[in-house]
Amino acid sequence: MIALTSLSSVSSLMVLAQTTVGSGRLQGGWGYVGACYGISVAAFVLYSVSLWARRPRAASDSKE
Amino acid sequence: MNKFVKFGLPALALGLLGWGWWLGLAWAPPDREMGDVQRIMYVHVPLQWMAMMAMFINFVAAVTYLLRQSWKTDALAEAAAEVGLLFGTLGMITGSIWGRPTWGVYWSWDPRLTSEAILLVAYTGYLVLRRFVEDPEKRAVWSAVVAIIGAINLPIVWFSVRWWRSLHQTQSSPKTVDPQMVLPLRVAAFGMLALMILFLVHRYRIALAERRAEVALPEALPTDDPALRAAHSSKVA
Repeated sequence: MIALTSLSSVSSLMVLAQTTVGSGRLQGGWGYVGACYGISVAAFVLYSVSLWARRPRAASDSKE
Repeated sequence: MNKFVKFGLPALALGLLGWGWWLGLAWAPPDREMGDVQRIMYVHVPLQWMAMMAMFINFVAAVTYLLRQSWKTDALAEAAAEVGLLFGTLGMITGSIWGRPTWGVYWSWDPRLTSEAILLVAYTGYLVLRRFVEDPEKRAVWSAVVAIIGAINLPIVWFSVRWWRSLHQTQSSPKTVDPQMVLPLRVAAFGMLALMILFLVHRYRIALAERRAEVALPEALPTDDPALRAAHSSKVA
């Protein structure tokens, strides 16, 4: 039984060694990238609109 | 308003940010381990830098206000806190999204993330305090004190990745990063700086106009003191 288990472990290791396990590079992920840029741009646009809506009126502009 | 602020600064911000992000998304190579997900760096890192810078401006303005009271420094402090909170919140959101594919989780109670969260809560509290105190002078003094206490967290956030074991990586330098990654990061950072200054200038003008209106307001209101009321009515007449 022990011999059979050991043989199984060895064969598993051999299979792992033949594959590209451990290359370590994430694949894809453009959705995360798009989400980050999209959220940032949307927030900047919204904040710009809020600044525009709150802007001081013409009277204070003319003093400056 | 200055023509540079009205036209030049928005054009500079959009141009640099667009160029930097294009370089980061299309020209820079993928990271050896993180692949294309690493391209989040060109938005996340400049956001965090600008948040720290705006919060530092808030600290300097608060100290300046306590030393030499002026509505201009109080308005600058308010503007810097709001802009800093915007950039910091976006920095945290983008960092959280970056964490999902690289760490496996959106959030971890890691020293950098926790100290950053405390920082954002402190600046939210600062803005809430400003909203709730009606007397402009008391508001300016109290919020300046809160700003100085809140700024203690700035170096803690910055050095947290060095002081404690953190999931978050330590600060990189141009020596440790591919030159093709350094250029997009620098261009995007200067674009983000221009945008931060643009937001700061506009928010400062709003805050200053509000302060001036508040300070002028009591004189415009009718007073309970008969002597003052008579003086006021004679002025109007």
